[in-house]
Amino acid sequence: MKKILAYLLMFSMAASLVGCSSSNNEEEVEEETICIAAAASLENAFEEELIAMFNEEYPNVTVEGTYDSSGKLQEQIEGGLEADVFFSAATKQMDALTDEDYIDSDTRVDLLENKVVLIVSTNSSLDLKKFEDITKAGSIALGDPASVPAGQYAQEALTNLNLWDEVNTKASFGTNVTEVLNQVAEGSAEAGVVYATDAASMPDKVKIIAEAPADSLATPVVYPVATLKNSKHSKTAKAFVEFLQSDKAIEVFEKYGFSKN
Amino acid sequence: MEEKLLDVDIHKDYNHFVLDIQFRIQQGCLGILGPSGCGKSMTLKSLAGIFHPDRGHIILNKRVLLDSQQKINIRPQNRKIGYLFQNYALFPNMTVEQNIAAGIEKMDKKLKNKKIKDMIKKFRLEGLEKHYPSELSGGQQQRVALARIFAYEPDVLLLDEPFSAMDSFLKEKLRLELAKVLENFQGIAIMVSHDRDEVYQLCDHILLMEDGHIIQYGKTKEVFKRPINTTAARLTGCKNISKIKKIDDYHVECTDWNHLILEVKEKVSEDIKAIGIRAHDFVATNTKKDHFNYISVENCKISEMPFEWYITLDNGIWWKIEKKMNDHDSTHIIPRYLYIEPQSIILLK
Amino acid sequence: MDYSPLIVSLKTASFSIVITFIIGILAAWLVISRKNEKVKMILDGLFTLPLVLPPTVAGFILLYIFGVYRPVGKFFIDVFNFKIAFSWPATVIAAFVMSFPLMYRSCRGAFEQVDPNLMDAGRTLGMSEWKIFWKIQFANARPGVLSGAILAFARGLGEFGATSMIAGNIAGKTRTLPMAVYSKVAGGDYDGAYVYVAILIVIAFIAIVFMNYFAYKEGKKGKRK
Repeated sequence: MKKILAYLLMFSMAASLVGCSSSNNEEEVEEETICIAAAASLENAFEEELIAMFNEEYPNVTVEGTYDSSGKLQEQIEGGLEADVFFSAATKQMDALTDEDYIDSDTRVDLLENKVVLIVSTNSSLDLKKFEDITKAGSIALGDPASVPAGQYAQEALTNLNLWDEVNTKASFGTNVTEVLNQVAEGSAEAGVVYATDAASMPDKVKIIAEAPADSLATPVVYPVATLKNSKHSKTAKAFVEFLQSDKAIEVFEKYGFSKN
Repeated sequence: MEEKLLDVDIHKDYNHFVLDIQFRIQQGCLGILGPSGCGKSMTLKSLAGIFHPDRGHIILNKRVLLDSQQKINIRPQNRKIGYLFQNYALFPNMTVEQNIAAGIEKMDKKLKNKKIKDMIKKFRLEGLEKHYPSELSGGQQQRVALARIFAYEPDVLLLDEPFSAMDSFLKEKLRLELAKVLENFQGIAIMVSHDRDEVYQLCDHILLMEDGHIIQYGKTKEVFKRPINTTAARLTGCKNISKIKKIDDYHVECTDWNHLILEVKEKVSEDIKAIGIRAHDFVATNTKKDHFNYISVENCKISEMPFEWYITLDNGIWWKIEKKMNDHDSTHIIPRYLYIEPQSIILLK
Repeated sequence: MDYSPLIVSLKTASFSIVITFIIGILAAWLVISRKNEKVKMILDGLFTLPLVLPPTVAGFILLYIFGVYRPVGKFFIDVFNFKIAFSWPATVIAAFVMSFPLMYRSCRGAFEQVDPNLMDAGRTLGMSEWKIFWKIQFANARPGVLSGAILAFARGLGEFGATSMIAGNIAGKTRTLPMAVYSKVAGGDYDGAYVYVAILIVIAFIAIVFMNYFAYKEGKKGKRK
């Protein structure tokens, strides 16, 4: 029994490393596999609903998703990953790959926005109405601006609202967004700032009070998607990107906390 | 006049070993002699209260220390029983003075200091008051341990193999000192040992133990004179022991000694299974005056010891005779016969 | 250069070592004086547990006890109007919980190594159980107790995982040196990290040398010749 488990473990580890296996070289019209390299925050939406939804229209296509931080995905593509579609959590990586000529820029769509939001615990008795009310909280949880993107955006927004100095004295810097969510959910922090998608992942524990005001962020958090130039399945890849722009796909994205850009 | 009486009856079942002891003693020193593992220390520790028998009672001077039926079990702290451990158990983190004061902490300060001074004097520890146990010799350590106990003024003094950890010169010196201490002790003393010389020298009564049981109890000299069975004979140092077959009321055949037939003084009852002869009790002679009890000495082995000759006969009998240190010539001591008086033969159950 | 993590760490470590020292000794005494073997084993398992758990798991458990909506946390808010989570005392709680097993185990081992005859001798001389523990068992176990204190102090100083769970990472309040180091490294500021690391090493080293010196002087007491 132990041996079987060991082999299973090894196999699944190997499989996860590969992620997107290199696409079949058999150019049969019937069966196709495409590889989507997408930001980690997109994983739930894709794996739980969107891929299945796509398969309703295109049952002969297998969609393999590989999810990671946008920076890592950029490195992998540069290193030769045979992805067909790239969907990043910021414009930075997409722009970089475009400059390096990996991206078919005609297909690029700046599809989604992830709002930066103020959250409190669902058990909270604090009366907060707008984003600026964050200062009413006695303790605040933010991602560490030095290393967590959501934290950087929080700092940017609060600085532009002239609230950073005050918030900084009461803020605990979490090492990742899940930590921030948990600290708010547990009540350790009376309020916190995360992405809307993060808040949506814990709907019964935290609730969104408000979004960061539109002008408080110089660079909104935009999620661009595009197909790759050297994709061997560009027709299908483009169809996938089209699908992502459909109303029912956008509905799913919004359910997971994204906003249409 | 306060009657000093220690009444003991204890029983413990302990992993294939059963301790079952009953005895009563009055003022004086009782020796407990037995081989290692016979339960001597267990007995002592039960008296002190640091070991708990399954059942029984211990009554000291009309005071109940243990009664399993009435569920009385007085803590060691309240038994007033002093215990001298084999390794003395001096507190390494305290000076000699502090060790001696350990049992009398609650005493009035002036009285306490006087007591400490008295003990220092009594046990000749002047100059060592501020020393730590690790800086003392073995003899000094024992004196401190005794001083500590005597300061506490216990009713009973328990000594657990007090000399086993020493070399023979120190042993003999300290035995004399302990004898003096015991002489002046008004309470009951019990000494446990596997060394018969010690027990013979220091104790007026003796208890022989084997396998958790008492084999024999009585006045020391009597027990040594008349051990009751083969184990008792061995414990009291009898070297020659042989199983016997009864021939008639006064004659036995020694089956371990080439069927040697001996005449004895006492009537041989049915429960007598062996006889013992002490190695020093033989008389050397060259003439045979009688039919029985003359053992011919042929083919004997001679061993030279510093102060004795050991002669071993080929039937297994040992004979010991004193000699001087410089005596090395054994030729003149070997007789033709060894004679044993009938009354020197010990009948053993 | 922000020195607040140094102040927070020193405050936390000094408070927690005092608490750990006292409770560690008491816990060891509690366990060795139990007569029932099963009770001994259960208590020992409980006291050693934080050592075996990953700090984050331990922190998680602490959160489930001291968190705002949890039993003890809520009690403190209702009765004392004091919120434990994200407060400085929470750093002391985390440091204590994670370093306590080291102190407890060292003390227990040291106490059990003392010759049992010494304790029995104390009993036959009429000494109370408490005096026996304090003046004989503890007094002769001092080197082991001290070494336990050193281990506990070092552990408390370096504590990170559990602390961040229950006390958060608030500059000047609960951001300890280890947290500051982690923050710098995560943000790519290695130079900043080096400074904090160096400070941590120096403090730990000084504390350990000091305690060893103290132990050395103690040990010399019984050995003059």
